[in-house]
Amino acid sequence: MDGGKSAQERMQARAPEMELIREAQAGSRAAFDALVRQYEHQVLRLALHLTGSEHDAEDIYQEAFLKAYRYIGNFRFECSFYTWIYRIVTNLCLDQLRRKKTRREDHAVVLDHSGDEIDVLASVSDDRSFSNPAKELDRKVLGARIQAALSKLTPRERMVFELKHYQGLRLRTIGEMLSTTEETAKNTLFRATKKLRTQLAELR
Amino acid sequence: MNCELAHERLVTAAYGELPDEQMHELERHMTGCPDCHSDREQLQAMKILADALPVLEPPANLVARSRLRLEEALDALPPKRWYDRLSQRMLNNFAILQTAPVAVCLLLVVGAGAGILGGYEFAQGRAAQLAGRTPIPKTPSIIEQPAAEITNISSIVRQPNSEMVEVRYNQIVPQQMEGSLDDPKIRELLMLASENSASAGVRDDSVGLLAAECRAGHSCQAAGIRDALMVVLRYDKNSGVRLKALDGLEPYVAADTRVRDAVLEALLNDADPRIRTKAVDILEPVEADTSVRQVLHSVATSDQNRHLRTVSRKVLSRVPDIQ
Repeated sequence: MDGGKSAQERMQARAPEMELIREAQAGSRAAFDALVRQYEHQVLRLALHLTGSEHDAEDIYQEAFLKAYRYIGNFRFECSFYTWIYRIVTNLCLDQLRRKKTRREDHAVVLDHSGDEIDVLASVSDDRSFSNPAKELDRKVLGARIQAALSKLTPRERMVFELKHYQGLRLRTIGEMLSTTEETAKNTLFRATKKLRTQLAELR
Repeated sequence: MNCELAHERLVTAAYGELPDEQMHELERHMTGCPDCHSDREQLQAMKILADALPVLEPPANLVARSRLRLEEALDALPPKRWYDRLSQRMLNNFAILQTAPVAVCLLLVVGAGAGILGGYEFAQGRAAQLAGRTPIPKTPSIIEQPAAEITNISSIVRQPNSEMVEVRYNQIVPQQMEGSLDDPKIRELLMLASENSASAGVRDDSVGLLAAECRAGHSCQAAGIRDALMVVLRYDKNSGVRLKALDGLEPYVAADTRVRDAVLEALLNDADPRIRTKAVDILEPVEADTSVRQVLHSVATSDQNRHLRTVSRKVLSRVPDIQ
């Protein structure tokens, strides 16, 4: 995400944030509000894409920042505040995914808007449509179907795939957020992509 | 590289996280493995399909709604107490120490070392003190007499290798006595005052009283007053006191040769011309005495004081012959 910046630049960019954090730890509401402003879009973006629901995203936003406010005194600058807040958000999202999994609908069959079944992989692999994303597919329907395939993953696999594919985070960062190692995150991603390919293949 | 490993590395490579050296190795495998080549294509297709579910920016009303709800919740929270913040800060500091175990250990070692060294130095100092000490009295051995006054310090001796010091001093206890001049005790005190008192005024008073007793003929010799006056005449530093003593000895010049000799000495040696002149007056009745005439002759001829020379000649002129 910020690979173009040097370590020095990143440190300098974090200096004002560190001051905000210290002030927030000292009890400054204004400082905490400033931190919320810095990260609220990213938090909502992640929660919204993961849950597909504005209501759920709002709940996750609320819980995440209330937790951050309550426990900001525990933040000891061992990692970036970004990682720390994302750790809170991902854990809340995982809880949400686990709750949803128990009442998940079966979206194995992919239908287009006319009700015909779609061999997604066949059309893509045969016509090499992956090199031309502008293929005429109903992205809305397809998106729902992809969402269905994603719902087949375990909450952890879903989270890793979300953070890697959709949020563009590095595997090392993902490991930090999920309180695990980079290698574990890599293996989880491998399993997730393998399942997704299987899911999409079963959609025929 | 086998296909199983290649399938795993394909995923890593697809997301740009495969190291360059492993990428080169993977490419070499791919060129000779159609199965893995197909797998890569499917993976790329999956990625494209996944992008069909785009990440959307949260709508503005969602952001505003969420923000407002959060602010309401934060406003409803009770403010953090100062002791909560203090305890949190202490916990954070402790956690910081936990993250720097080497520094903490170093700090503990340095602190413990400083404490041990300080304790050792203190213990050594105490041992040195105890080794050189004689039994320490619980309180200083100073016994004060009521209204006693220290007159002088006679000696100071320090115990070797010790804080103990021995000080010898003299004290006087003020006393008061009232009595007649005829009282022997009073007279004794007056005579002591004429010899030992540091105050010329006290000596003057005492000598004056004693001289008055002698002039009055009040048993002067038996009490040793005459001797005391002669001592004063010879040695007192105050000329006024010497003069009073000379007055007191006047009645005894004729009868007591020791008094006459003391007066003659005063005539020859006293620094005060008044006393020398007085001595000449006192000696006139005994000018027939050979020793007296010799002294008068010496003063009349060679004394530097002109008045004394004159007075002495006059006295000598009135004495026809030396007896």
